[in-house]
Amino acid sequence: MPELSLQKALNLALQHACEDDDRVLIFGEDVGTLGGVFRVTDGLRAKFGEDRVFDTPLAESAIMGMAVGLAMHGWRPVPEIQFDGFSYPAVDQIVNQMARMHYRSRGVLNMPITLRLPSFGGIRAPEHHSESLEALFAHVPGLKVVSPSTPSEGYHLLRQAIADPDPVIFLEPKPRYWQRESFDPTEPVEVLPPGTSRVVREGKHATLVAWGAMVARCKQVAELAAEDGVELEVLDLRWLKPIDTDGLAASVAKTRRAVVVHEAPLTAGLGGEVSALVTERCFGDLRAPVQRVTGYDVPVPSGELEDQYLPSVDRILTAVQTTLEYRRG
Amino acid sequence: MAEVTFPLPDLGEGLISARVLEWLVAEGDWVERNAPLVELETTKSAVEIPSPQSGRVARLHVAEDAELEVGESLVTFTVSDDQAGIVGAVPEERKPQRRVRLTLPED
Repeated sequence: MPELSLQKALNLALQHACEDDDRVLIFGEDVGTLGGVFRVTDGLRAKFGEDRVFDTPLAESAIMGMAVGLAMHGWRPVPEIQFDGFSYPAVDQIVNQMARMHYRSRGVLNMPITLRLPSFGGIRAPEHHSESLEALFAHVPGLKVVSPSTPSEGYHLLRQAIADPDPVIFLEPKPRYWQRESFDPTEPVEVLPPGTSRVVREGKHATLVAWGAMVARCKQVAELAAEDGVELEVLDLRWLKPIDTDGLAASVAKTRRAVVVHEAPLTAGLGGEVSALVTERCFGDLRAPVQRVTGYDVPVPSGELEDQYLPSVDRILTAVQTTLEYRRG
Repeated sequence: MAEVTFPLPDLGEGLISARVLEWLVAEGDWVERNAPLVELETTKSAVEIPSPQSGRVARLHVAEDAELEVGESLVTFTVSDDQAGIVGAVPEERKPQRRVRLTLPED
């Protein structure tokens, strides 16, 4: 079975989506000639031509406005905004147009748009290149939000997102683009349905809930914890809107302790929502309050300072120990 | 390995095309980022373009003396997968360092 990077798996997903459906259009800054800043759209213009894979001016609001117009007329746009932090100029189009068109038209118009957004930190990039916007978009009614953590997840989740009749914000964990995995997209595998989470490591003492780039770090933490005889379950949430409440509750009901890990700042981050859901569903089972390990409440720092900002192995281990030690007063 | 293709950049002044005067590299050459890549002539001036990427030159898309438009493919590099990206650095995969040890509760 070939080894594929996440980057290449996403490229294949786009290629197969274009082959399967003539209405799929790919556009954004540098996606055509250059093949995308992370090579995700590499070679697609040569395969499908300039009418289906094309470069746009540096104007994010125009990219998303055009996506809305094209979707209204039956196309399935897959626009790219080069970096998470660059999506702010397009928020009006995303929130006021794309997210509510289905509702506003009383269900007449669908918005089958997949916005690809290289997201999260970890590559020591300059400012505006390493944001975590999942809470912002998950808060907007009408949008679905998803983030893959591995090449195979990337392939299948992107295919599902493009097939979805609703607008999907697809957050690609850019520090994982170069991660490789044995993966053959032509092999039939069990593909989990949209809106579900995945247990990526079984455990019994506590559940680490994560998504995107933080799944890999939580897997590292679980390996270290195992050295100490602590078996941590790692739940990859995958879909951040809608959240798989049943999967979340099932895992926490089993382990009875939960630590939510994300890169976004703590205050009003998605970890608060996950924590509330766990508390609503598992209050009687919980042996400790849900812990959150997150980025700090500061603007995402650039360059090497990112390393200090992102949840570290030790910060996560400390939160785990806090839940293990907790005693009701 | 991955391939990265660079198009003719917009050289400013509203120019829409340029002519290749001289390639300063050959196919198969290893080029460092910022090293001289090609000399181009526009209607305004002759300019030397530095390489935007380090890598091995896989293909020169245009012959010397030929004209190409802004946005058309100029050169393709072969780069290792962990270089293929324009912004930021590929995170190192290494065993995580830890200071915190865990202890299970007694009950």
